[in-house]
Amino acid sequence: MRIRLDPWPVDTQDGQLTLKPFAGLVFNAETEVWAAIAPRDLPARLRRVLVVDGKPRMEARLLLDDEVGGLSLAGFGAFVAGAVDLCPHGTRQAELLEVAAQRVLAHSSESGAAVKAERLSPRNPHTGRLEYTPHVFSGSGLEGAKSKVQRLMLDAEAELSHRLASALPLDTSDPNALPDTLVLQDGPVRIGGAGRAVLGYVKTLHTDYLGADRIGLLGTLKPGERTPVLRFRVGDQGGGHDSAGQGSEGREQRFTWYVRLCDPPFYQHPLAGVMRLEMHAPEDSDFVPRGVLDIANLSGRLLCKLASMPHKDARAPQNLIPTAALEQAMGRAMGSAELVTRRIRSHLARELGRVEIEGAVA
Amino acid sequence: MTGTSASRIGMVLGTEDVTPTVFWFAVSSGASVQLDDLVVVETLKPDGRPVRFYGLVDNVRKRHEGVTFESDVEDVVAGILPASVSYAARVLVTRVDPENFIPPQPGDAVRHARGDDLKMALSADKMGQAGFPGGLLADGQPLPLNFRFVNGESGGHINISGISGVATKTSYALFLLHSIFRSGVMDRVAQESGGRMAGSSGGRAIIFNVKGEDLLFLDKPNSKVVKKEAEASANKGFAGDRYALLGLPMTPFRDTQFLAPPRAGTAGSAIVPHTDQRSEGVTPFVFTLREFCANRLLQYVFSDAGSSLNLGFVIGNIEEKLFRLAGAQSDRGTGLKVDDWQVDVSETPPEDLEFGDLGGVNLRTFEQLISYIEFKLLDDRDGEGDPKWVLKQAPGTLRAFTRRLRGVQKHLTPLIRGDLTEAEANRYRPNLLSGAQLSVVDIHNLSGPAQMFVVGVLLRQVFDHKERYGRQDTVFVVLDELNKYAPRDDGSPIKDILLEIAERGRSLGIILIGAQQTASEVERRIVSNAAIRVVGRLDLAEAERPEYRFLPQSFRARAGILQPGTMLVSQPDVPNPVLVNYPFPAWATRGDEVDDLAGRDVVEVGDEWLR
Repeated sequence: MRIRLDPWPVDTQDGQLTLKPFAGLVFNAETEVWAAIAPRDLPARLRRVLVVDGKPRMEARLLLDDEVGGLSLAGFGAFVAGAVDLCPHGTRQAELLEVAAQRVLAHSSESGAAVKAERLSPRNPHTGRLEYTPHVFSGSGLEGAKSKVQRLMLDAEAELSHRLASALPLDTSDPNALPDTLVLQDGPVRIGGAGRAVLGYVKTLHTDYLGADRIGLLGTLKPGERTPVLRFRVGDQGGGHDSAGQGSEGREQRFTWYVRLCDPPFYQHPLAGVMRLEMHAPEDSDFVPRGVLDIANLSGRLLCKLASMPHKDARAPQNLIPTAALEQAMGRAMGSAELVTRRIRSHLARELGRVEIEGAVA
Repeated sequence: MTGTSASRIGMVLGTEDVTPTVFWFAVSSGASVQLDDLVVVETLKPDGRPVRFYGLVDNVRKRHEGVTFESDVEDVVAGILPASVSYAARVLVTRVDPENFIPPQPGDAVRHARGDDLKMALSADKMGQAGFPGGLLADGQPLPLNFRFVNGESGGHINISGISGVATKTSYALFLLHSIFRSGVMDRVAQESGGRMAGSSGGRAIIFNVKGEDLLFLDKPNSKVVKKEAEASANKGFAGDRYALLGLPMTPFRDTQFLAPPRAGTAGSAIVPHTDQRSEGVTPFVFTLREFCANRLLQYVFSDAGSSLNLGFVIGNIEEKLFRLAGAQSDRGTGLKVDDWQVDVSETPPEDLEFGDLGGVNLRTFEQLISYIEFKLLDDRDGEGDPKWVLKQAPGTLRAFTRRLRGVQKHLTPLIRGDLTEAEANRYRPNLLSGAQLSVVDIHNLSGPAQMFVVGVLLRQVFDHKERYGRQDTVFVVLDELNKYAPRDDGSPIKDILLEIAERGRSLGIILIGAQQTASEVERRIVSNAAIRVVGRLDLAEAERPEYRFLPQSFRARAGILQPGTMLVSQPDVPNPVLVNYPFPAWATRGDEVDDLAGRDVVEVGDEWLR
């Protein structure tokens, strides 16, 4: 028996290497030759790289009790979507961009009572003011509030990526196709965000898009090298329709390729340090646009430069240095969870509890 | 209070403990804070009343904020990792007004102390008219020292420590004297006290020059001062030269006299001052043999009298005998006539003795006096000595006594003379208290025992004089190398007189401006009596000794890197020491610094000669 270590810490939601085969079709887009492609230097045209990420947090779960005895669920939550703005050539300091927390009171659409914006008034001028904006989620699921916050965060992330990235002409011939601003988006690229220089990076390999005959190349990639670009359709389950009954034609096409960020230590899985990258593809095109190819070519150098070290980050090298810093900044922007929860509790006790008690006494 | 006029330079930090005595503040971007900056913080109490904290920056630091690993600095500089530089400063609070010792609130604005705030920070408001400049703060504002803590009213004495070679101790002592004499503080204090104290003409200073001939040119302008001051102001970005900032004239000392011991020579030779670089304007000083006896100066010959009880007894006894002998003299000469010396019995009769009419001998040199004492102690009565002089002491003790006397004979012979006329004696008698305002006593050419003798005798004279006339006319005594004159472990008559000055001198108006390399080797009571303590560059091991506990730890560490012209000054009004720098001397400190042209152009002076 051969034992390999999953490099990621056990409290991470998923292990790094739980590969499930992709059900749909994957096409060669760049070349028919399945072999490693060496990295190229970062072109001078690329002046700005933005690493975008988001972070959700639930701060309190609520049970809303309307006067007629109906119960519904709600929750206080917060999320941040922000970016690190850096120059890939190292000509200036990296900066945090738009890292500001937003607070959400997510409540079920089934709750009868109209929910007003809850204002948690500050008691100390030095700790600021907590203000929750109400958002409705459908259904009455227990996780509804949490997924609403997650949804809002993803939307904010997508909006930020789209807004910050340069336009990417999906054209094969334009020599100036390479944008000057590239957005690195945590996770796969979002649906509906095509046409922008947004590169999604998937830290955890869950789906095997390659199949047994091709996946062997990943183990032999050297740091910085990449596989050729492939094309697939999002949500393709094979057989033309996915389980939800939605036609696979309705989903967007993506380009994807793999990059190795570091040599894995001998005791780890050979795919440790491999990252999957993803970009939007134009519908019904068999070629790889010039801009995508340029980004694929520079992705190895760029990501190796941003890759973190195992002694600094448990999810190294995939959790990039700017991402880790951004996560930390986002956590700080939301404030101490303990303090926020305590203030929510004391607010509810002060504002609502007394009414109840007074009502009971009366 | 006009503190709000200064712009905010930072905010009190909330991630470090904020206490009424020490706190940190984050320096705002664009602001620059350095060690020794004086700052003010105003905080509001719950009832809305303000409390102001005045303090001194004693530590500044920068670090990358938000990064965990030290190697992250590479990623930050490479532009990959977003991080900001945190710039923070620690403040030692020197004063809280009103005295509500609450902590400031994190987030309170920190401002530079300027104007009235500065006065509050340095307690200058308490000083009133008694403040005089003690140097310049880092930002070019003068540091006020409280004259009432110098002249003996509330406290007295100044003690200066620092390693030698950096030429700071004496320079700073001279600067303080210049500041006291020329800032008018003595007149102001006298006026404020209702004229009881004498004005600036009343203060006098005595400086013992122990090294080189550095202090023999204090009355001459320094040829380099204008250039040096221009450089310093340019370097520090001051508006004018430092003398102007301090409100002091850039001139040498006025009203000075220079005293030097005479060159060694045979009896009867001319009295010429023993100086190499300066010849004119230096008055030689000698003590007459008669004074030596009449004023009981014998004890100052022995620096180790305390080492043996018997020896001290012999010294006291002989001193008494000599005193009576001097009292019995009928004429007005400077020698000593004795009629009981059988010269032929003496073991070592000196040559060229002057015999009187009735077989008596006229003692005219120190050597002859020693021979006479030897005769009385050892040779008289077939080697038993005169019983009234011997007083049953063992011959060993007596021989030890005479051996010591013989040991210092060579050193003291030029200083103690009995061959002078009355007029000569008057001319060459050291006149420290009625002569010039500033007297420099050059003793650097003297040997150790002779230096001790001169310092001891002169200080005793000053002390006796002040005991008779009281504290009017403050006398400042500048003495370097206190560890030699008042060592911690050994006793000496000079240490006794220094101790007396340190403990009682303040009420008599004698102020000791003492200096030493290492305060740890000086008698503790002398150092601890100094109200104002000054530290220049120190050896770091020395700086950790208990004598320097008045310095906060960060200052002790810094004392090792102080540059010439920079001192840490601690005074009773301000609980923390303050770093000051003081201007280049306006007086020459060496022969080659003397400005012969008196500040004028070479051509101009040349024209004058040709005219």
